[in-house]
Parts: sequence; structure tokens; C-alpha cells
Amino acid sequence: MIKLTFFLNKFLFWLTTFIFAFIPLYPKFPLINIKGTFVAIRIEDLLITAAIFLWLIYLILSNTWKDFIKDKLTQAIFLFFFIGLVSTFSAIFLTHTVTPHLSFLHFLRRVEFILLLPLVVTIVKKKKELIIILIVLSLTILAVNLYALGQQYLSLPVISTTNSEFSKGLILRLNPGARVNSTFAGHYDLAVFLAMTITILTAVFFALKKRFRLIVIILGGLSLFVLIMTAARQSFLATVIGVALVLIFSNKKKYIFLFVVATVVILLYPSQLRDRFISTITVNVFNLGQRYTGKTQDQQIRSKLNIPTLAVKTSSQSASTSAFASPSGAIATDITPGEPIDTTQLGVYRSFEIRLNIEWPRAIAAFIKNPILGTGYSSIDIATDNDLLRSLGEVGLLGTGALILIFIEVGKRIFRVFNSKNKLMRLFSVGVFSMMIAFLINGLFIDVLEASKVASLFWLMLGLGLATLKLSSSKER
Amino acid sequence: MKFFFIIFSSLLLVYMLWPGPSKISDFKPLPLSDKSNLEGDTTQIPNVSAYFSNNFRESVVPFYFSNYQNLSHLPFPPLQINHPPEYSWIAIKKHTDSTYLEELVYPLRDSIYVNGFEPFYSSGSPKFWGATVFVVKDKSWFTKTTLRFYPSNLVIKFFVWLGISLSILFMYHLGRKIIFSND
Repeated sequence: MIKLTFFLNKFLFWLTTFIFAFIPLYPKFPLINIKGTFVAIRIEDLLITAAIFLWLIYLILSNTWKDFIKDKLTQAIFLFFFIGLVSTFSAIFLTHTVTPHLSFLHFLRRVEFILLLPLVVTIVKKKKELIIILIVLSLTILAVNLYALGQQYLSLPVISTTNSEFSKGLILRLNPGARVNSTFAGHYDLAVFLAMTITILTAVFFALKKRFRLIVIILGGLSLFVLIMTAARQSFLATVIGVALVLIFSNKKKYIFLFVVATVVILLYPSQLRDRFISTITVNVFNLGQRYTGKTQDQQIRSKLNIPTLAVKTSSQSASTSAFASPSGAIATDITPGEPIDTTQLGVYRSFEIRLNIEWPRAIAAFIKNPILGTGYSSIDIATDNDLLRSLGEVGLLGTGALILIFIEVGKRIFRVFNSKNKLMRLFSVGVFSMMIAFLINGLFIDVLEASKVASLFWLMLGLGLATLKLSSSKER
Repeated sequence: MKFFFIIFSSLLLVYMLWPGPSKISDFKPLPLSDKSNLEGDTTQIPNVSAYFSNNFRESVVPFYFSNYQNLSHLPFPPLQINHPPEYSWIAIKKHTDSTYLEELVYPLRDSIYVNGFEPFYSSGSPKFWGATVFVVKDKSWFTKTTLRFYPSNLVIKFFVWLGISLSILFMYHLGRKIIFSND
């Protein structure tokens, strides 16, 4: 039995290491389509399920399941699952706000992602194993970045899930002005991954001997370059905060001035990212920028009563004047009166308006309808672009409270390693803690906890961070 | 703390199981209206009814607001949620025309959606291209109001209450351990 447990542990370690690389690298090709949504089950879901299944067997065979269940973090995780189930039950049978199979699958997604955390904590037992995973992750980051550059400069294929048609697994190419997504199927997801990456790399940089630092500089620089190419403002901001936290917690305050200068230079250097930041201030903050007024009275009336289910004016006389399309192509074809004419400003304007007027009110309405349990997973459509509001809307105060308990416990545990005498452990835990904060900041404008690739990686990384607590205390004993 | 939990939990159970409306026919018809017999407004979809009238949103929603509270016999009114009109395709039924959709809800109990299709302003001027009046039995009306009631089942409510009470209990004990202990 001991031998079997030993081999199972080894197998699980290599399977987990493989998952660390497979999730970011394998494009989002659908495997099994689900009726009623364009989110599909993919190979990585099966891989993670297999790993979790084997891990549960390992817990039983190694007789560690009792300690596992007594653990506060495990209890918080299971409380979160229990409330998720109660909320799903209430959504199906009481509020009637979900399609049962979709809600249940969304619930299972959360289980799948979060269980990766205890899995990694249990499986990674030696410093050598931590280093192996870090090396695999570094190679993965390199591959992700090189592929992103390939999409931009060599026209390498793009797999995207940004709409229902693309999510069927179509092979696309980047249009001029489009943003790279590498293997992440969405530029926001790639940017979140890079924000996590840069934060951890900054911490690891200080832990390494000088001869290895060049590798980290190259990886970090490449990641930063690709992050700028994604032009994702929120992730850039999260990266800045994440790196600043690393410098503060690792007591490297002399680097802060250098870091501030670098940030200012990046923001001043002409790029899509800079243009989008300027547009944010122009359009969202000061409400400036030239606006489209509409060509006809019909357009102006419709823009005031913008209900997509109502009849559209289609008479032959009005057809030519009702279309919003600009024959010259200088103005977006789907622009409506009141929107900015400049295409960058238009993108920034819509990005915020869709959150402010559609997604966030929808989540708030769900929360008002059932403040204690929410209206269930999948009840507020596929995106809310704010994880706190999404959580309150879907699982209410109870579910959100349980999720916060998980983060508090994880944060407290990682924080304990800040005093470790082992430099790598100490700085890696600083990196993971700062990454967690940066990730949650990203969650204020993007659904990071539901975006499958980055969410899985997030829980894997937290698991690795918690594993350092175990490694650090066993070393210091 | 135990005392507060027992009080809260008992009050929640009473609130959830308190008798209220159980079907759409419990609600009053709109004043001075003609009940729709069109397909989809009668028996095809459960708990739906619709009325043609000259009542506009300003009077329709308050009418059902007070009707719902009276039927629920509760000392406080339902919550009022304003939904985007296109949500009527989900909340009422597909292809429901809509210019407003409001939900009146008693959380953890039941809710009624009030959907209005008003092609004209109350002044009589059209709101959009193609606006026409509704002609029913030689009478013409300016608005159509469609209601859909989502009732709840006592057994389901009991299980949800049980789930909530257990969750609060677990969260209280675990929260204390996580927030206040340093081990």
C-alpha cells in the first residue's frame, strides 16, 4: 500500500506539472458542446477532473483525508461548495432564474478550479518539486509570449472565444489593429495571465543568484512587452500594483523609484495602451470627445428607445438613411447617436458603458432579488466584468462571505512565510501574495475567477504558494 | 449570538412559509381592460395573463404593487426591480413585445413580472416607427400588459430555509476560527 501511495503521489506530481503547462498552452478548442451556451467542455476539464479523482483516491490510500477534512481552509472551501449547491437548488426550484443543467455545470466549474489548490498543496512536498514546477512555468511563459509575437508578426493562428461563432474553434488570423491573445482565446485573459506572471517573476528575480537573473529579466521583459500589446488597461494597472507590493513586502524599496520611472516611460511611449488610457480620461472621466449625432431623425428616435426586440424601420425609402454605416469606413459601422466618433474612444466608451448600464445593474438586480443566496450560477449571463458583483448576484451574501473566508485564510497562511529564513520560499510567497492582490484587482473589471484558464492557474499558483508554507516549516524544524 | 440566530432563523421560516398568492388568477384584472385570449396569454404558459387597456406604466405597476402586497398579507411591500425590456423574452415568454418590464418580488418567496408594451406615449404620440393601436373586438387600446407569476412550493422553501440556516451556522463558527485565531 505504501508503495502504491508513493507511486500515486509521484504520478500526481507529474500530472499536476503537466497541467501547469497544458492549461496555458493548449488553445481553447471545444470538446463537448453544451446546449444553451457557447461555453464548451474542453480537454483540460477532463484532465483536471482525472487529476482530482486520483488525488481523492490518494487522500484515502495515504490516510491523510482526516487531516485534510479537519483543515480550516478545506472547511471554508466545502462551505463555499455547500452554499453554491443551496443557491443552485434555490435558483432552479424557488426563483426559477436558471436553466438547471447550465447552473449545475457552472457550479462544477467552481469545484474544478478551486480543488486545484488543495491538490497542489498535498502533492508538492519537496523544494526540488517546487523548482521543477517553476522551471516548467518559465518555459510555458516563454512559449506563450513567443506565440503572441508570432500572432502579431508571423500571422500565426488565433483561437478566440469572444463570440459564439469564434468559440466553435475557428482558426482565425489577427486583423490590423486587433490585439494578441496568444493561446488564451481573449486578450483580457492573456493580460491577466501576464499580470500574474510579471508579479511572480519580480519576486523570484530577487531570490535567484545573479547568473540566473538574466533569464528572469528576459522573461519579464518579454511578458511586459506582450502585456503592452494587449492594451489591457486594468491588467496593466494590476501589474503595477502587484510589482509595487512585491517591492514593498520584499523590502526592496530602493527599486521603487526605478519602477515608477519605468511605469511613466511605458505610459508615455506611443502605444495602443497609452491611447486607451488617454481615451479613458477623455471619454469616461471628462465626458469629452466628438460624438456622433445621427444622420436622420429616425436614428435619433431609435437611440432614445434602444430596445432590440422592437421592429426596425425597413421601408425602402428609409433603408439608405437609417443605416448607421459609414461608407468611408472612418466611422464604426454600428455607431449610434451619442457615441464617440474616434474608434479608440468608441471602444473605451463601450467597454465602460456596457459594464455600467448592462452588466453591473443586472448583477445588482439579482442581488436585490435574493440577497442571501443570489439567483444562482449562470443566472446573470456569461459576463458581469466585476467578480464581487457577480458573486453577490449569483450566490449572494452567504456565497460571497464563504469565498472571502477562503481568501482570508489563504492570505494569512502565505503571509506567515514572509518571515521564512529560506530566501526562495520567502520571496516566492511574497510574489504569490502580491499576485493574489493583483488578480483580485483585475477582478474589479474582469470576471477573472470564472475565466477558465486564468482561474485554474490562479488556484494552482495559490496552491503552490501554500505548499511553500509546508516546505518552509519542514526545513526550519 | 445563539439567541439572535434562533430569532432570525425562526422569523425567516415564518416569512418564507407565510401564505400568499399561489396562481396568476389570484391577481386582480387591470381596471377597464380586455383580457387577452391570444395564444401564449392563456394556458400555453403557466401563470401568464395579459390585458389590453389604456392604462400606462404609471398606473399599472402601482396597481399590481399594492395588489401583490394585499395578497401576501405582509406588513411590508415587495421589492421593485426594473429589468431591461428584452429580458421579457426570458421572464415572460419568447417574442413578447415590451417597452418596460418590472419585477415585484418578495425575496425567497415568489415574484410577479409586469411587462408593458406601450407603442404610444400617454399623449397619444407614437414612440417608434410602426407603432399601432391594439384592436380587440372592435375596440382599440393603447397598451398591452402581460403578467407572469412565479409561485413557490412550501417544501422547496423549507429546504432552502434549512440550507440557509445551516450555512449561517457553519459560517459563523468557521469565520470565528479563521478571522480570530492565529494557528
